[in-house]
Parts: sequence; structure tokens; C-alpha cells
Amino acid sequence: MSSNISGKAYALTMLCPIKPGVEGSAAFGDVLRDKLEAWNELRQSPMARVPNTYLCRYYILDDVYTQSLPGGGIWDTVSDIWPVLSKKSRLEALPCEEHLQSRYLVFTSNFHGDLDTYLQGMWLHAEHAVHNVWQYCYGFDKVTDADSFAAYAKLCQLDATLFFVGSNDDPLDEQLKALYIKQEFSRFAQTTQDLPAAQLRQAYREFMLRVKPRDITGPSWPAGAKNELTLQLIPAWTAAQKIVQQESTQP
Amino acid sequence: MTKVLDLWDIQGNVVRPYGRFGFPVARYLLLNVRDGRLGRQWLAGVIPRITTSATWDDAQGCIPKPVATLNMAINHAGFVALDVPNASLNSFPHEFTMGMRRRRDIIGDDGPSGPDYWDPVWRSTEAGKAVHILLTLNAQSPKAMAEQYDAIVQTLADSQGAVALLDGHLGQDGQLLPYQEGHLLWEHGLPTAKEHFGYTDGIGDPYFEGIADPRYRVEGRGKQMDDGTWEPLATGEFLLGHIDEAHEYPPAPEPVLFSRNGTYMVYRKLHQNVASFDTLLQREGEHYPGGPELLAAKFVGRWRDNGAPLVNAPDAKAKQAWDAQYAQASPEQRDAMLSDFVYDEDMSGARCPMSAHIRRLNPRASLEIKAGVCPGEFASDKGAFDTPGALANRRRVLRRGLPYGNSTERSSDAGNHGVIMMMLNADIGRQYEFIQQQWVNYGNDFREGNDKEVLLGNHHAFDPTCVVHAADPTGDAPPRFVRNIPRLVETRGGDYFFVPSLTALRLVARGLIDPT
Repeated sequence: MSSNISGKAYALTMLCPIKPGVEGSAAFGDVLRDKLEAWNELRQSPMARVPNTYLCRYYILDDVYTQSLPGGGIWDTVSDIWPVLSKKSRLEALPCEEHLQSRYLVFTSNFHGDLDTYLQGMWLHAEHAVHNVWQYCYGFDKVTDADSFAAYAKLCQLDATLFFVGSNDDPLDEQLKALYIKQEFSRFAQTTQDLPAAQLRQAYREFMLRVKPRDITGPSWPAGAKNELTLQLIPAWTAAQKIVQQESTQP
Repeated sequence: MTKVLDLWDIQGNVVRPYGRFGFPVARYLLLNVRDGRLGRQWLAGVIPRITTSATWDDAQGCIPKPVATLNMAINHAGFVALDVPNASLNSFPHEFTMGMRRRRDIIGDDGPSGPDYWDPVWRSTEAGKAVHILLTLNAQSPKAMAEQYDAIVQTLADSQGAVALLDGHLGQDGQLLPYQEGHLLWEHGLPTAKEHFGYTDGIGDPYFEGIADPRYRVEGRGKQMDDGTWEPLATGEFLLGHIDEAHEYPPAPEPVLFSRNGTYMVYRKLHQNVASFDTLLQREGEHYPGGPELLAAKFVGRWRDNGAPLVNAPDAKAKQAWDAQYAQASPEQRDAMLSDFVYDEDMSGARCPMSAHIRRLNPRASLEIKAGVCPGEFASDKGAFDTPGALANRRRVLRRGLPYGNSTERSSDAGNHGVIMMMLNADIGRQYEFIQQQWVNYGNDFREGNDKEVLLGNHHAFDPTCVVHAADPTGDAPPRFVRNIPRLVETRGGDYFFVPSLTALRLVARGLIDPT
């Protein structure tokens, strides 16, 4: 669908009906919500392992919400002013209150690249998480591999037109490397302020050797990092910090 | 200006910063109400002593200028203790109901600014020690202050224990006092408008409709219109029961007679770390183009000695010319030189940095901003808002208060010196708290990410703040980083109070607040 595509970015929206079963003493939908909430307590979301994910979101849609009975347009207004019909018949003519036939798992993701590659990447890099989540949904029992997961996802797909504005459409690795360089360069500029030209040139040379601007694989920010606690798990980041500290403590 | 305020009904500190009106000394008293009925009786007796906003004039039949003033503010617990009905208590906004201590996460009172470090008077959990009422006393002389203080203490003694004066304000030598003192700082035998970091303070207080100040003071202090002229801000930004800048009445407690002509006061005792400030200035000023004094000016947006704004005096040479013009100027012209400016020619902050105190607390029209042509350049986005300062106009606060303590010994941050800051606004959440959270402790609206305002920001020792002073985008000079900014100001106590009208105080005293 072209509305799902913006440049090299893709916006995926899936609505997957949840089966009405019970696990232990909780309904499938509630069990699933609890599992997804538990991801917040992890150091890193399982989705961080899926290549090129800019931003994704899971939630459970319990039902549609009704704020009031919808009106019937201009004739309804006319009838209000000049009530030729009885109140009872007018109320009966209004659209009825609607509900979903089941609860839904909603999965939205903005990513770089094409849909098939992304869905297969989900299976390859987060198969356990995919199983853990979608096992409660109708039709997932037919999924056995990456291809059948991609086919299943497309059956549940809705057109989407909303894109995450915090990202451009470049590959995630390139964006993370660019952010890393930007932040490291800010630190460099701070720590080298007022250095004589020769020393500044030398420091810049060392900086470029350390951050390796052309090497996408590292050093760089990891995908899905939530905070410095997570970052400390990444050897490249820890090594970079040590150098920054040494630089800033030098007289 | 057509608006006429009920000056006899509005407390005097709302329209007058007393320090500027010849009252160089102050005492701030905190009271606890221990008996509602007798407390209201005490209140009824004190109300006639309260200074209103009425114009002072020595002519017959007019109110002469008093030698000392008295004003009162009451917090939520205070209204509970004075038996104000629940329906009125529940109609206060939640910021006021929660109070400053419980709003500390919003306003960033963490680490050394946390309640554990506040003066004992704000910390006591003993029965009968909670803060309920704030009395602010200002006087023309120490003698007049002593007499006013004694008279108030006598009313408390006469209250049969119903209202008690609370002990526990930290004094100059570490002793605990029954009041917080405040005073103008003196230089060469003369009172000044300086505070302990050496800045000239209190220049840009907002000008609102109905205020008794001369009309020429509206330039730069009111709101800027599309044609560049200045008009007074709407009264409702600072007084409840009046139309505000959104053409609405600000949310107010019920009934109307309880809230009209009243306002909210944010009282903060702010300790100033003078040694840290001096060290920062020396360390970062050593290589700063223009030296430490220009760096000090960049922190605030004004030169320390006379408040000359950086937008019109961006370097030492321009300052010299500005000073020469200032020396020849009439009082009215001087006022305009200090206040009547905008940031239209300095949208990138090369003269007055985005992190500067006056730019953060009153951005004027500079939030109408868009990216410029050169990297790091910003340009004015004229017409982005209804009026140039539409966003700033809703975030103004009246500033009252005085410095306290002395800082002649500047080798350490210890001691007891700072400023008692009292900010008056119609909506604590929209005005004071927004400024503190979004513009002081955060910089995104100014395209500065997490960079905090230098003087008031809650800088952390474990992750020291840096700010960037932009360079002229068309020039060759690089931007400057001011690094490792320590916490320069620490909160030592405070709360959210309501400053009722005289009508409201009389109704509270009679127990006749009726929200039904």
C-alpha cells in the first residue's frame, strides 16, 4: 500500500483479534497485556533486536468507546426544531451503540525498508517474543516460519498514514551512528575549547580515530537503549566514556 | 488605560515592590493557627493594620505613606485551620492544595534544594508547628521595623495562644530566629538594587492594566503589540476575578468574593552559593572573549553594575557608549534604556544568550523563532502568533522580595545569604511552575535541549550542566561553551500562598465564606 510508505520508511499497523480463552485465572487479553507491560521492566525491549525499527508500539484494544449517541445529521436537527416524529421513533432511528466482536492486539511499527524484509527480521531476531505475544491471537497457530508470519501479518494489516517524526528514513544503523558522532563531537568541542591550534589538531585526529565516522558497525549507540544503565552494557560506549573522562580530567 | 482597580481592596504588595518605594528592610513571619474561632478573632483584629494598594498622598483625606507595611498570605492548611468550608477549599487548583514541598518534582527542588535542607521552620512535623500564615513586614527604617514587629507580636500574644509565631528561620550565624529578615544591600553607604552575585535586580517587573505606575514604564514591561508598541498586560494575569490574556477569568476558588482581587504568592528562600559563583566566573571567564565581567553579563543578559541590557550593549565598547548616554538621560529615558528592548536583532542569541536569566524568564517576542540561513542561526518568525509575545504574556509573574544575610565572606558557599523571592501570579501551574520547569530547568523552547538557565537552574554535581553561548552566525568566532556549572542557588524553604483581598479576609474572619 503506497499510503504506508514515505520515502524509505514504512508504517505498519496490525490489528489481530485475540482469542476468548483463559490462562490460569486471567483472560488471554489480560495475560497478553501483562506480558507486554512487563517489557517495560526489561533493560531492553525484545523489539530492539529487530533490525531497522525506528519506533514500535503494542497495545490491547478492549473495545471502541462511545461518548454519546451519534446524531443523524441535518434532518435530525430539523426534527429537533420541528418535531414531526415522536421522540421514541427519532431515538430508534439513531445509529445504535457499537462494540467490537473481540479484543484486539494492535501492533504499530515504523521502520526502514520493505515490509517483507522487516517481518522476516522480526521472526529471525525475536521469534520467541513473537510467539509469546501472538500465541493468544486467532490464526497464529498456522504460523510456522518467517514466511508464514509475514503472510499472517499482512492478513491483519490496516493501511496507515502516520509516521514517527523523530526519525528520517535512513537505515537505523546510520541514524544511530550519526547521533553518536553528533554527541561525541559536542563533548569533544567542550573539552578542547581554548586548546592551541597544534594541540587541537592532534586531539581532533585522535577523536576521529576513536569515533571512526565511516564505520557503521561501531563505535555507535545501540538500538533500543533506554538510559545510561543500558548503555553501560555496551563495550564501545563504556570505552568511549573512559576516554572522555580522561580527556576532561587532563589539566 | 480604562481599567480602574479597587485599590482599597487589593493588598499593597500586589502593586508595589516595597524595596523600590523606599522600604529597605523586611521581616517575614510564619504563623500557626491553633484554634479556628480564636484565630479568626485575631485575624479580624489585624485586618485594619494590613496595607492596601491605595495611593499614598499627604493631602488631607488621603492615606499618607506609612513608615511600615503589613501584608498577609495564607496557605491551604491555613484556610483549613481558619475553618473555611470544604467546598471552597476543594475549589482551589491542585498546585495550591499540594503546596511547594509536594510539587518539588515539578519545580526541580532536588538534591541540595530538597526539603531536607530547608530551614527548620519549614520542616517541622510537630503538632502546632505547621506553616499556615505568612506575614510580610516592610519598613522605611530599622526602628520602624522594630515597632511594627513588636506590634504584630503583641497581637499574637493577645490571641490567647490561638495563633503562634513559628521559630526556626536560619539566621546569619546559624541561630534560629522567629522571623526571616530581608534588606537591600548597601554599597558605599547607599542602598542598592543589587543581590549577592552582584547583579542589579528588579528591573523588569511586569506592567499590568490598572497598576498605578507611570505609563511610560509599560515600554518593555507590558505586552508587545503587532505594530511594536507596548500595552499593559491583562489584569487577570495577576489578580483573580479579572479578565486575563486569554480573555477569560482565571480559574479561582469559590465564591467570587473569596477570590476576586486576590492572587497567589510563591514564597521561596533561595540561598546563593557565592563562592561557587565566583569560582565559575573566574574559571570560565579566564579565556572568555570579553573576560569574566562580560561572562557574568551573559549569565543574566544584563551588565552587573547598572543592568544595561546586552542586546543594546553587547560588548565593553558598546557598554561604554551606553553608559555615557545613560549618564545624560532623564529618569524616564533611563527607564526606557533598561527595559524597552526586544530580541528581534538577536534571534540567535549572539548578544544575549538563550540561557540568560532575563531571556528565559521573559522571552518577550523571541519565541516567534525559525531556523535561519547559516547553521545555528535563528530568525524571527513574525506573525507566527496572534501578537509577538503571545506565549510569553501568559507566563509572567510579579516579583517581590529582598536579599537576606550578608556575603562579605565569600570563600565558601556556607552561611546564610540569598534572596527571599515572592512571585505573584493568577495561576501557579501556568505561570510560576511552567517557567521554573520548562524555561529555567529545561531549554527546549529556546532550541537549547536540556540546557538550564545558569543562575537558577537545578544543576547536578553528578552531571554538570553546560550552556552554549552562540556566536554571530555571520562572523568567524566560534560559539563558547560554559562548562561544569555547579548549582548556584539552593532552595531553603517556601510554600504556595494565597494573598486574599481585604474583602476576603474580612469574610474569613467572620466565618462567612459561603460557596453555596
